[in-house]
Amino acid sequence: MPFATAHTVSLHGAVGHLIDVQTDVSPGQVGVTMVGRADTTINEARDRCRMAIINSELDWPSTRRITILLSPADLLKHGTHFDLAVAVSVLGAAGSVPATSLAGTAFIGELTLDGNLRSVGGVLPMVLAAAERGIRAVFVPEPQAAEAAMVPDMSVIGVRSLAQVVAILRDEDVPDAAPVAPMSGARLLAWRGRERLEELDLADLLGIADARYAVEVAAAGGHHLLLSGPKGCGKTSLVERIPGILPDLTRDESLELSAIQSLAGTLEPDAGFPTRPPFAAPHHDASKASLIGGGLGVVRPGEVSKSHTGVLFLDEFPLFRSDVIEALRQPLENGEVTIARRDESVTLPARGMVVLAANPCPCGDYSSNVQHNRCFCKEAQRRDYRNKVTGPVADRVDIVRNLPPLRKKDGAADLEAPESSAVVRARVEAARARQAERYADASWRLNGQAPGPVLRDRWPLTKVGQKLIDDRLYEGRLSRRGATRVHRVAWTVADLRALDRPGRDEVDTALRLRTGEPLLLAMLRRAG
Amino acid sequence: MSSLEDERLARVALVAVSEPGDPRVADQVTTFGALEAHDRIMSGYDVEGLQTDPDVRRAVTDPAATLARAAELGVRFVVPGDAEWPVQLDDLAAAPPLQSRGGVPLGLWVRGPVRLDQLAGSVAVVGSRSATTYGADVAADIATVVAETGRAVVSGAAFGIDQAGHRGALAGGGTTVAVLACGADRVYPAAHRQLIEHLAIHGAVVSESLPGWSPTRPRFLSRNRLIAALSVGTVIVEAAIRSGALNTANWAERLNRHVLGVPGPVTSGPSQGVHQLIRSGAATLVTSGEDVLEAVGAAGEHLVPEPRGRERSRDRLTTRQQQVLEAVPAVRAAPDASIARTAGLALAEARGTLAALAEMGLVEQEAGGWRLAALAHE
Repeated sequence: MPFATAHTVSLHGAVGHLIDVQTDVSPGQVGVTMVGRADTTINEARDRCRMAIINSELDWPSTRRITILLSPADLLKHGTHFDLAVAVSVLGAAGSVPATSLAGTAFIGELTLDGNLRSVGGVLPMVLAAAERGIRAVFVPEPQAAEAAMVPDMSVIGVRSLAQVVAILRDEDVPDAAPVAPMSGARLLAWRGRERLEELDLADLLGIADARYAVEVAAAGGHHLLLSGPKGCGKTSLVERIPGILPDLTRDESLELSAIQSLAGTLEPDAGFPTRPPFAAPHHDASKASLIGGGLGVVRPGEVSKSHTGVLFLDEFPLFRSDVIEALRQPLENGEVTIARRDESVTLPARGMVVLAANPCPCGDYSSNVQHNRCFCKEAQRRDYRNKVTGPVADRVDIVRNLPPLRKKDGAADLEAPESSAVVRARVEAARARQAERYADASWRLNGQAPGPVLRDRWPLTKVGQKLIDDRLYEGRLSRRGATRVHRVAWTVADLRALDRPGRDEVDTALRLRTGEPLLLAMLRRAG
Repeated sequence: MSSLEDERLARVALVAVSEPGDPRVADQVTTFGALEAHDRIMSGYDVEGLQTDPDVRRAVTDPAATLARAAELGVRFVVPGDAEWPVQLDDLAAAPPLQSRGGVPLGLWVRGPVRLDQLAGSVAVVGSRSATTYGADVAADIATVVAETGRAVVSGAAFGIDQAGHRGALAGGGTTVAVLACGADRVYPAAHRQLIEHLAIHGAVVSESLPGWSPTRPRFLSRNRLIAALSVGTVIVEAAIRSGALNTANWAERLNRHVLGVPGPVTSGPSQGVHQLIRSGAATLVTSGEDVLEAVGAAGEHLVPEPRGRERSRDRLTTRQQQVLEAVPAVRAAPDASIARTAGLALAEARGTLAALAEMGLVEQEAGGWRLAALAHE
């Protein structure tokens, strides 16, 4: 039969499409045509595959007309991982491998001229997509077998060369081949940043009860948080302790995060599934592409996506470039980020909690108390800075907290030791468990991600609670967007207190959290 | 037995048969002395107007045993005439009752090492139990500053502001005393056991109620008058419109003590009572511990520097100099003739002023004339 189909996957952001590589080998004008919106890297596959097949001592049907279709044809495709599927498809059409052996199997890998395989990026999301489309076996370059094996119920065959693939398909003895180099460079530095953050404990921080509670609520409900306060008041120390109070990733979260890491080329399959939420703290010099994502051809996830399911910390956030701040709107609002390129636009998940920190002025020394004011910024600079803090991004933040300047050492610390991260984490875990139960059949996991209309419809507040919000709305002190965010936060406050429905107190606390008003001590006490 | 000890026993008996702050009992003691008042009340003579019927509790009253049991609990009974007696409480005799409470207490039950006569210059820090974190922070800061000057901080060990006041005083390494509505051996609120026990070891826990008695609403009102009377000034940090802290403020006003109010956001419910106090002139506005010290201290003892903006280089210029400086361009230098015209001054005068300004470093001369120097932008 002069016709064969091999499957592979094309990635658009984190969305994978199953691609049929169909090859027809029939008499006609000699040549190879490739159709179906392939980009340059795939067009080059013709030459790589031809040489790879010849150098693997297999038959390239050089005396006939070869037509290769990448179907669906309307989808733009790019990447070098199509090589293996193209080669196998040609061999199937030429009769070198039984065409029937290609069914239900996907092929991922780049070929070199001598017929060996090379690693490619994004294997995990590709295999995930293939699994969803009913593929049950997948050939991947050997170093990436562990990554592909993260997908449940998938039989993964790690191979080194085209000859090995052909032998397996023919059910013959597998020849030896040179090992395939892993994709990323060797890990040069044993970076310990991650571990450092896990060791920090909330028990080290005295005072700032208000901000501690805000952080607890934010962690429990996945809410975005804005901390402002003078230099040295403990913003960064507090934020660095957030990973310590976040629960371990669920299996789904872990898989999503791995898929993003795979796209970014930072996945370490040997380390197994990631279990702890990621923490990213890009510097304010960061470009839009590095924060939001971008790149030529294949889209590289930015920090907002790499911190999916974890924490994205933007310290001194008004110092970020305006276009970067503007670009944050979408991830803050929708938990995803869309990157438009010339030919396509891709959407990546970005459901981490975003934590913004801001000083009162560019130099960070401004204090409204004239006796403590050491600020030398010009009034205009301060105004520009404040405008950035209160701009559209801040409106998309659920929780706002103003930290007081560092106060006299809390001498009564022995009376009431600050809670440790473990204690807070237990409450956060319990609150998240309540949310998981409530949103079991929904597409989101946390209150911070729940769509407003659905919340109002299915999980309303008590009458008195809703009235509190409505009053503020009619007084013009709360925007519609703000009302939705207060609704979400109120649910988290209720979850932390193990209540079935947020009432007056919970809404009051949520309103205070949203507007930056000081919290009621009584509420903090009930939390702890 | 000395007469003071007789009187002490008589006072214990009177405490046992009455309610704290019963103005009628206090009146009788002031008029007839404790011993005679005791005999009159116990014999059922002239008990009209008492808030309790002395007969009901008399049967179970054994003053000597009560004192002994209190001593076992580490509680002493301080009465007028004792060296430790805080004489400022005697002011209560002249103050009219408020909500049927008033008068000098029959005695104070005290647990803790601090002597009550050390509370002469103390400051009370009180406020709402449903306080905000803002209020708690301010209360703690004020208490710290007050405690650092050696003044004791008096409060009620309640949730919110009271607790913050005690903690702030401890942070400042100072003395702090809690006045309770229940017996001095008891703990209320229960969640503050740690705080109250700490005060019983390092400060003092004071009550007018018999050891073992529970806190009731009227006893809280009586307690508030003691907080106000013990201290030279009462700082109210956050108090809603109906709040026990306002009752304390009321007592402080009646006793001619300083009433000091810490404002909050005008939209904040817990600050409304304080704002009302300030607006009506009953309280003086304070924003820091330094303000409090200035108010309660002897005249001129703790003067607070007047808050003022940072001095700028332009502040000390004469009118003429300012006139010329305004005419000097910021970026591109202008010739002195043009500056003189803009300033409306004769060329010679403008030149002289420019030279003076250049000496101060406010303007600099360039090829094309004069422009502002960096210092002028500050």
